[in-house]
Amino acid sequence: MAQTNNATLLRRDLLTRLCRLMLEDNLENIDRIPVEMMPRTGKAASRCCPYKGRAILRYRIMALLGYNVADETDELESLYNYALRALSGFDKGYGVLTVVDEACDGCVKSNYTVSNLCRGCLASHCMVSCPKGAIRMVDGKAHIDEYLCIGCGKCQQACPYHAIIYVPIPCEESCPVGAIKRGPDGKEHIDPEKCIHCGRCMTACPFGAIMYRSQIIHVLYEIKNQARPLVALVAPAIAGQFRAGFSQVRSALLKIGFSAVEQVAEGAAQTARNEAEEWIHKNADGQPVMTTSCCPAYVSLAEKHLPNLRPLVSDTPSPMVYSAMKAREKYPEAGIVFVGPCVAKQAEARKHGGLIDYVMTFEELGALLIARGIDVVNEPDSSGEIPLPETRFAMSGGVAASVQTYLPEGAEFPHVVVDGLNRKNVALLKTLPKNKNIKGLVEVMACEGGCLAGPGALTSTETAQKLFKENVPLPEKQWAP
Amino acid sequence: MNKITVEICYGTLCFVMGGEVFETLQEHLPEEIKQVVTLKGMVCPGYCHQQEKYGKPPFVKVQDRLICEANPQKIIACITNLMKDGSNQ
Repeated sequence: MAQTNNATLLRRDLLTRLCRLMLEDNLENIDRIPVEMMPRTGKAASRCCPYKGRAILRYRIMALLGYNVADETDELESLYNYALRALSGFDKGYGVLTVVDEACDGCVKSNYTVSNLCRGCLASHCMVSCPKGAIRMVDGKAHIDEYLCIGCGKCQQACPYHAIIYVPIPCEESCPVGAIKRGPDGKEHIDPEKCIHCGRCMTACPFGAIMYRSQIIHVLYEIKNQARPLVALVAPAIAGQFRAGFSQVRSALLKIGFSAVEQVAEGAAQTARNEAEEWIHKNADGQPVMTTSCCPAYVSLAEKHLPNLRPLVSDTPSPMVYSAMKAREKYPEAGIVFVGPCVAKQAEARKHGGLIDYVMTFEELGALLIARGIDVVNEPDSSGEIPLPETRFAMSGGVAASVQTYLPEGAEFPHVVVDGLNRKNVALLKTLPKNKNIKGLVEVMACEGGCLAGPGALTSTETAQKLFKENVPLPEKQWAP
Repeated sequence: MNKITVEICYGTLCFVMGGEVFETLQEHLPEEIKQVVTLKGMVCPGYCHQQEKYGKPPFVKVQDRLICEANPQKIIACITNLMKDGSNQ
C-alpha cells in the first residue's frame, strides 16, 4: 500500500470492531456500529449528515461480511441477519471487490471543468473547438455541460489561459484493464468479466468506496468454534509488516487460536526451483520468453485480456499453492487460511477449489490482533528462525533472483522485471509475444514494489521496505538478480 | 543541550492505526532536529483504552507532552516549540 490514509484507517476501525464483536460473542450488536461511530450529535466528517454517514458504514460492514453491496434486496435487512446468513453457509456469490455505491459520489461527471481562471474571452476558443456544443457562456464564464461532454479534451488544448483543467476519476485511472466504469446511475461499477482483482481501484478511491469482500468472520467463527484446527500460511511479505521476527508473528497467530503457522516462503522455494527447471526446458525447446506465475492479478490479466501472452506464463504453481498442498498433507484435518497482503489471492484460491479455505489480509490480521489485545513486539522472540532467502519473493526482483539461484552455476540468465501493472507496463506486456528485444525470464508484479506494496498490507511501501530489509538480512546484491 | 526524547508507542493498535509511518521518522526529520532528538519505542502505556481522555491513536510522547493522532508534522512542530522555549536546556 502506497500510504496509510483516512479511508484505510476507517476500514481498519470497522474491521477491529467486527472482530471484537465476534470474539465477545456479541454479534447481535453489529447494527449498533454505525450509530456508535456516528452519533446524532457528533460531527459527520466529510458527509452531509450522520444519517448518510451511518448508511454508508452499514454498506461497508456488508462488504466486510463478504457481501456484494449491489446484492442488497431489502434495505431494512439487519446486519445481524446478514452475518447469520453468511455464517450459516449462505451463498454470497463470488467477487473479490465491491463498490459501496452510497460512498461513491465524489467524482466529477465530466473529466473537464472550467476553473476560475476563465476570462470569458471574446474568441471563446473552447466553444469553437468543442465538437459536441457542450460549452456555453454563463455569467461571463465558460461552462461545460457535463451531460453533453464526451471528454475529448479539445477545449483544454484550445484555451489560451489554461483555464480548463482535467479532473481525473481516480479509480478509472488506476484500473489497468478498464474494468471499472461509471454506470447510468452515476456510480462506478466493476465488470467482473474484466476485473483482475489487483485492488488498485480500492487503493486509489479517495472516498474508500471500493472494498474487498472480507472472509474474516468465517475465520473467526472457526477459531471460536474449534470444529477443526486452522493452519495459517503466512506470505513472505509479513517481513515488512511488523518490527518483529517471524517467531513473534507465529507466537501471536498461535495466541489468536491458529493451531499451526507455516511460512509461504517455503512454498516460494519450491516455486523458484521448479520455475528454474521449467525455464531450462522451455528455453531449450526454443521458447525465448517465459513469465513468472506467482502474481494472481497478473495471471488473470493474461487469461482475461492478453490471450497471446497466456502460453508464455509459467505453469509452475504459486508459493501459496505449494504451501497449501504441503499443509494439507501435514494437517489433513485442518482448515487452511492464507494470510497475505493481496486481495487477488482470493480469486486464485477459488481456482484451486477446496485447497485453500480462506484468504485473509495483513490488515485483517492487524485488526484481529488489536481486538485480541496482542502486541506482536511483546511476543517472545525465540530467535534461530532465520528467514529463508525466498522471502525476497515479496519484493520486486526477488522472484527472478530466487529462480537464478536454482539455475546451474554460471548459466546465462537474461531477465526483465515488470514492476507494477500500470497502463504502460500492460502495453509492454501486450507486445511481449512479438517483442524480439525481450528474452529470458520476465518477472511480473501487479503492485509497484512487489507484494510488500499489496493493497491488503498493513504498512506503507516505504515502511514495508525498511522493515523487510531489517528482518531479512540478505546481502544487498541478493535482493534482485 | 539536553536531547529531546521522542517515544513512539509500539503497540499494535497505534501501529495499525497509522503509527507505522514512524518507522521511517528518523529519515524524515530535518537535520537540525535530528541532532537534538533521541527516538525510542515505548511499550503500549494504554492511552488507547481511554480515548475520551487522551484522544485517538497513534500516540507519541515528546518529552512529557502526549500527542494524539500523531503524525510526523505534529511531532516536528512540537519539537520545534520545545527548542524555541529552551525548555530542553
